[in-house]
Amino acid sequence: MDIIIVGDGKVGYTLAEQLSLEGHSVTIVDTSDEALRKADEALDVMCVKGNGASAAALREAGAEHADLLIAATSMDEINMVSCLTAKHLGTQFTIARVRNIEYTADSSRLKRDMGIDLLINPERAAALEIARLLRFPPAANIETFYRGRVELMSFRAREGDFFLGQPLSALSDRVKGLPILFCAADRDGAVIIPDGSFVPQLGDRIYVIGAPLGVHEFFQHIGRYAPQVRSVFVVGGGRIGYYLAAILERMNMRVKVVEQREARCRQLSEDLPKSLIIQGDGTDQELLESENLAESDAFVALTDRDEDNLIISLYALQRKIFKVVAKCNRRNYISIVRDLGLDSVISPKLFIANQILQIVRGRQNTKGSVMNTLYKIGEGGAEAMEFTVNQTTRHLGTPLKDLPLKKGILVAVIIHQGRTIIPEGSSAMELGDAVILVSSGRAILDINDIFDDSVLTRGMER
Amino acid sequence: MNFKLVLRLAGKTLLVEAACMALPLVVALLYREDPMPFLLAIGITAVVGLLLSLVKSDTAFHAREGFFSAGLIWVLAGVSGALPFYFCGDFASFVDCFFESISGFTTTGSSILPAVEGLPKGILFWRSFSHWLGGMGILVLTIALLPSLGGRTLHVMKAESPGPIVSKLVPRASQSSKILYAIYFVLTVVMIVCLLLAGMPLYDTLVNSFAVAGTGGFSVLNTSIGGYQNPVFEVILGIFMVVFSINFSLYFLILCGKWKQALKSDELRFFAGVVTASVLLIAVNISSMYGSFLVSLRHAFFQVTTIISTTGFSSVDFDQWPEFSRMLLVILMVCGACAGSTGGGVKCSRALLLLKCVRREVRQILHPRSVSVVKLDGRVVDEKTLHTVMVFLGAYVLLALMAMLVVALDNFSFGTTFTAVITCIGNVGPGLEKVGPMGNFSEFSHLSKLVLSLCMIAGRLEIFPILVLFSRGAWQKV
Repeated sequence: MDIIIVGDGKVGYTLAEQLSLEGHSVTIVDTSDEALRKADEALDVMCVKGNGASAAALREAGAEHADLLIAATSMDEINMVSCLTAKHLGTQFTIARVRNIEYTADSSRLKRDMGIDLLINPERAAALEIARLLRFPPAANIETFYRGRVELMSFRAREGDFFLGQPLSALSDRVKGLPILFCAADRDGAVIIPDGSFVPQLGDRIYVIGAPLGVHEFFQHIGRYAPQVRSVFVVGGGRIGYYLAAILERMNMRVKVVEQREARCRQLSEDLPKSLIIQGDGTDQELLESENLAESDAFVALTDRDEDNLIISLYALQRKIFKVVAKCNRRNYISIVRDLGLDSVISPKLFIANQILQIVRGRQNTKGSVMNTLYKIGEGGAEAMEFTVNQTTRHLGTPLKDLPLKKGILVAVIIHQGRTIIPEGSSAMELGDAVILVSSGRAILDINDIFDDSVLTRGMER
Repeated sequence: MNFKLVLRLAGKTLLVEAACMALPLVVALLYREDPMPFLLAIGITAVVGLLLSLVKSDTAFHAREGFFSAGLIWVLAGVSGALPFYFCGDFASFVDCFFESISGFTTTGSSILPAVEGLPKGILFWRSFSHWLGGMGILVLTIALLPSLGGRTLHVMKAESPGPIVSKLVPRASQSSKILYAIYFVLTVVMIVCLLLAGMPLYDTLVNSFAVAGTGGFSVLNTSIGGYQNPVFEVILGIFMVVFSINFSLYFLILCGKWKQALKSDELRFFAGVVTASVLLIAVNISSMYGSFLVSLRHAFFQVTTIISTTGFSSVDFDQWPEFSRMLLVILMVCGACAGSTGGGVKCSRALLLLKCVRREVRQILHPRSVSVVKLDGRVVDEKTLHTVMVFLGAYVLLALMAMLVVALDNFSFGTTFTAVITCIGNVGPGLEKVGPMGNFSEFSHLSKLVLSLCMIAGRLEIFPILVLFSRGAWQKV
């Protein structure tokens, strides 16, 4: 696909990297020579210098024939105008990053009038994710499928968990009876798709999937159930901090926000009537203590600096705060702190990447089955995705045990007529079902990609 | 200071006032009374006004001119409004006339007359009509009629309109004042129709309507509204006193179809809460005095609305009520009506802001580094406005205390001295004891009457225009 990325910032660069790795031809438009030079040297992309909102620059980048334009400059207005111009020039699909809540409040009008096909607000998505974690603290991450009817949660296996050291098939019937599935495990950076012989070990990050009730029951069963979070301590009153506090206020949690900039504090106190806004340096332990950090149920670190976030999160863990979430955009830090016990690390940059990869694959596969959701699992490149089964899907009605699946593919959940089913060997995919797949390694564009046709054809030849 | 322009504006206001005096003149002629007091007063006012308005001036007009002219013109208007009283001969001295006239224009309704029933109808009509003129502001009226000041008239509106935050309804100031007067006029007409339908005589209807619309409180009966012995009148008047103590810009919002926004006003909710709570508390407190709870509820409703709207009528002698009810009424005198209404007092919005600031201060002590803003109607009130509000409240108390000290020279009881000042500075009318609903201000000395008159103007113009008028800096050339 021909993809234009306007804005070569943090997000633009990550996207360009990801998309060019997936084999798309990517053109970057930016006004900064330096940023473009860096992209030109490191990535296999084309660079165009110019104003991404101008028709001339977009035409030079090939907007007339482009399949997709992603506007991710730091200015919402430029992103919107860029989409408008590109759409008029002939670009098929446009995505704008719009972060100002005054614009996103009326997104349908904006989409219609500005020719934007998709608005993404990574900060808001990150805030929603953190709010989900605070609502269900035992999980280190929570992803949702099928409009929240299926949840994928991860947790770390720790000393004393009863399932350690024995294969999954040897688990008691009571655990097996729960409508959940162990769908992936992350062991030292490598993702394993478990089967009955899989033996969980101490330190594994285990992913379970199922209907929310079932997952919650499972957590209760392994003794991870925790009291509800009632008060949250947020350090950093940037965009994510604001969105998060607003969501938590609606969930009737008490929120304390620490922010350094005086003017921003006043703005926050204007927009968040129920939260307590503290002006000060959130990395100052004296301040954290005087504001009763230890009494809070949860702690969220959202400052601009990854290092600060991680350090104060570790401090909060040390102060025995029950749930700690940190924002960190650099992936190499995440594994370091994970070993120190900090499990819930949020990376807003990844959200955009996930969301846009999903769109790109969906656009690539317009004739096949529709991909609804895509999440990256762990650092090992595994993915969980949801498809809707349609006429193009092969092997409809064939029991799973007879399907020629490729290696490293798991059919995790089938949603048949609104019911969530954890499939067994006898289950089958039917027309109109939603299917959640877990794949380690390869990119899946269509359900048909999971079938190993070589096995099939070989069998016929024989 | 652009004195020439201030004088020209004063001249124009006097001309408007002279024209307004034609109405009581007509009433006097209709009742075949002596028209001379009015003819003389109109003559003097018109000549002075004409001379002043001939002063040549440029149009340099700033906030200080606005405040200064508001203070000066209100004093001048009071003096010329006192002329008909002086010429009619029923008043003991010119100071009494001045007190009565100021009490009329500032919509206070305190009187030095022991009995009013014997006075000429024309004089009583002028007394009440001055309430109606002063309620919305004589300067605002002048601006609406003679918009010659150009774009700078907002300064005058700011100086004369009550409330901490004064804004225009529409882009043009003179247009805004016309809209305000139109709302005022229509509401008055509606009230007149209601009272006529309820069976009040035409003359009484007009006079009482002027008194209620301006939230003044001059009555034509010695025992005020209680003299009618008619519960229907009391209820109608009570409801309209509430109507006129609500911010007029809310009516403008309703006219524009923004019902919800108007009903969401914090000040309106606060006002409604205070009225409801006070009515219930007083009704319970006085229920043993009247046979049924319904009767005490009726009296409580009328007294609370008349005091909080700062009208100052009475349907019973509330000076006889238990101490709790009397104290509550005194607190309501201080609190007063909503900003942007015709009522007086410190205004509900200021009281509300004070409460919010106190809450914020406590929070600041618990969390020294916390940042919080004070909001009114969902919008942030900037620190400058909050500061002005707090200084206003402080100055209000200070001024009242100083006035009390002077009035105390007359050696009346504490209750009389205290409530006389509170009621005058709040533009209410009656106080307690000697100045209670059945009493009057005639026994005070000339000095006290002048001080109380100044208190009334200070209360009506919200203190600062009067302080500007008496500040040395305003009179100096440099």
